[in-house]
Amino acid sequence: MMWEVPVGLESEAARLRRGDPAAFEALLERYQNRVYRYLLRMVREPATAEDLFQQTWLRVAEKIRAYNPQRSFEAWLFSVARNLAIDHLRRYRPESVDEPLATGETRADQLVGAGPTALEGVIVRERSSRLAATLGELPVIYREVLSLRFEEEMKLEEIAEVLGTPLSTVKTRLRRSLEQMRGRLEARGSAREWQV
Amino acid sequence: MIAHDKIRELLALVAAGALDAAEQERLERHLAECVECAQELEGWNALAGGLRRLPMPRPPTGLVERTRTLLGKQLAAEAERRWDMGVLVFLVVFAWTLVLVSWPIVRLMSEGMLGWMDSGLHQTWVWLAVYSALGWLAAAAAAVALGLRQRELRRKV
Repeated sequence: MMWEVPVGLESEAARLRRGDPAAFEALLERYQNRVYRYLLRMVREPATAEDLFQQTWLRVAEKIRAYNPQRSFEAWLFSVARNLAIDHLRRYRPESVDEPLATGETRADQLVGAGPTALEGVIVRERSSRLAATLGELPVIYREVLSLRFEEEMKLEEIAEVLGTPLSTVKTRLRRSLEQMRGRLEARGSAREWQV
Repeated sequence: MIAHDKIRELLALVAAGALDAAEQERLERHLAECVECAQELEGWNALAGGLRRLPMPRPPTGLVERTRTLLGKQLAAEAERRWDMGVLVFLVVFAWTLVLVSWPIVRLMSEGMLGWMDSGLHQTWVWLAVYSALGWLAAAAAAVALGLRQRELRRKV
């Protein structure tokens, strides 16, 4: 897939810093799904995620000169998206930034799956949807670390860069988030339901 | 027993691929002997696998296109801003160069050609003052024009 190619070539970074529209076009094409998914995991509301998605790319165009090509571009890009999402959460839901939601229902239930077709596909989608819903119930600091590790497949060092925290904190959050996730699934009696 | 409990704390992290080499080695030695931990690890691996296979939510139709349009506008505005700044810097440098270079030129003109043209205006300081004032007036007009243009651009974005 195209987005798997990282931004690392000096010429590409230089083109971005010059404000080359074609370079930004390629960047948007490559990272659109991942940035949108990450924002959706963070804020859980599609309309807000859309708004933040646009703001993220505008901020990237504005701040690209501040990006150091020696560092991971993905980490920088996701930290731009994260800062916007955190600002939004603080502004509109200050009580929920680090706290779990009281109720279980989330928009994550509505996510469209991309699994196999027919009955098996429907079952897989239902299970994944339940898993996504449980993920959506976790506090933002836990669901973001899970999303970055398992969906974005970032290295721990990159996650630490995105979050602006030490590596040990990333490990602690990762362990606690998995424990919370498993605890919630077991409490619902669906601990291994997602296994296919 | 203490070692067993410590190892259990690592099981979630091993499923996340977050152990260092020493922890990994310690864990593998323990798993070879402990069936309970091996079974526990299966559960963590299943959860990690499920998280890796979560469906990818796609951006809604039109969102990427709208973003592309906004991005294009922003990049064009940034390019114009950079161009305007370049022009402003050029004008400032040009104005200063003109002022500095004018001194020997005016001297040459006032003491040379103008000496026989008009005896009343041949003083060097008069020419220098007129020349500098015109230069700075032109630079000020350019700066005001660029400032107004930037404000207009910012309003559009």
